[in-house]
Amino acid sequence: MKILIADDSRVMRQIVIRTLRQAGFDDHEIVEAEDGADALAKVGSEKPDLVLSDWNMPNMTGIECLQALRSSGSSVPFGFVTSEGSPEMREKAANAGALFLIAKPFNEDTFQEALSGVIA
Amino acid sequence: MRALVIDDSRAMRRIVTGILEGLGYETQQAGHGREGLDVLEGGWVPELVCVDWNMPVMDGLQFVSAVRSNPAWRAMTIMMVTSESEHTQIVRALAAGAHEYVIKPFTADAIRDKLALLGLLPQEAVL
Amino acid sequence: MTTIDTGERRRGAESRPVITELIDGATIESIAQDAWIALVGEEEVLVPLPGEPVTDPVSSWVDVVGPWTGSVVLTTGRRTAEELTRALLQEHSPEVLEDEDVADAFGEIANVVGGNVKAALPGSSGLSLPDVGEAPAPRNPDDVCRVDLLWRGETVSISVQGALPALPAH
Repeated sequence: MKILIADDSRVMRQIVIRTLRQAGFDDHEIVEAEDGADALAKVGSEKPDLVLSDWNMPNMTGIECLQALRSSGSSVPFGFVTSEGSPEMREKAANAGALFLIAKPFNEDTFQEALSGVIA
Repeated sequence: MRALVIDDSRAMRRIVTGILEGLGYETQQAGHGREGLDVLEGGWVPELVCVDWNMPVMDGLQFVSAVRSNPAWRAMTIMMVTSESEHTQIVRALAAGAHEYVIKPFTADAIRDKLALLGLLPQEAVL
Repeated sequence: MTTIDTGERRRGAESRPVITELIDGATIESIAQDAWIALVGEEEVLVPLPGEPVTDPVSSWVDVVGPWTGSVVLTTGRRTAEELTRALLQEHSPEVLEDEDVADAFGEIANVVGGNVKAALPGSSGLSLPDVGEAPAPRNPDDVCRVDLLWRGETVSISVQGALPALPAH
């Protein structure tokens, strides 16, 4: 399975990749995107099976990326990994079609819980 | 009391000016930061300046920095008028020396409340 | 879109909240500790003790705009910021750290701490992208909640500080 990780912080992308591995999701292909616009383009070119995206990013935010994906007919499974886990953000994410929202800081248990039904 | 309203949108200038005049302010208008400075340099120094963020020639942030570099204008209160899309840049405007901000769209009550907090309501509007 | 109900705005008309009415040092400390454990490492403890004054300070911060408006600022020594960066990067840590790596890692810690501070505040607020460099100066000494912590013996301070000047007395 191919997982696209979108975050403007390279460090955070590495932490997400590391946490995926620690949570036991270690034999998946990883593609990285550095903002929402990059993620949108790479969903088209890389055809990932899952997108894990930050919320606040330059160029295009995560929610704008998700909205653009859904309005272009893409139904790629999409989850947020963001430092803003308020009920309001969770509602916005769910309304836009996100499967889950993982709030930072997270650990491998948080990842297992959110991803066990999504990643085979 | 006097207020200078700086915005490149004529419609927005009219809205803000209308609200302030309704509260008893005497107003002047400017289309961008440089024009605003011209008004101040001309000797018309108001108690309040309401300034837009995104403008041609001289934007709101540059205007605030210019005003704060002149001690003669220290008593002036500056209120930034900004839109939702710019709102996370507000702290930069405040750090440059603005006192308050309102986010578009706003109501007359929102402006009135901020001015009340700042002690800048003309007498007739307080009563 | 933010809609603020009339009742809330009316209360806002009488006063403007300062940060000490909204959050306390213990909450900030606990937010920071959670961020440290998740980002820096499971054994990484923050001790709530003031340390030596920071030499060659560097700050990272995010801005919060809402019913309360200000910044969440982390400040530590440059060497400590580099150590934090290495801890975050773990096996990906390069031999020579670029400024960009430090800005990224230290900024991301501010983002996580700031995002959680924002979530603890009432109402709905916006959060800026992180910035790294010389911290913005506090505008109002009454609108600051600051905690001084020690990480591996080095001072790390977290200042949650308002961006609006004090209201005139009237």
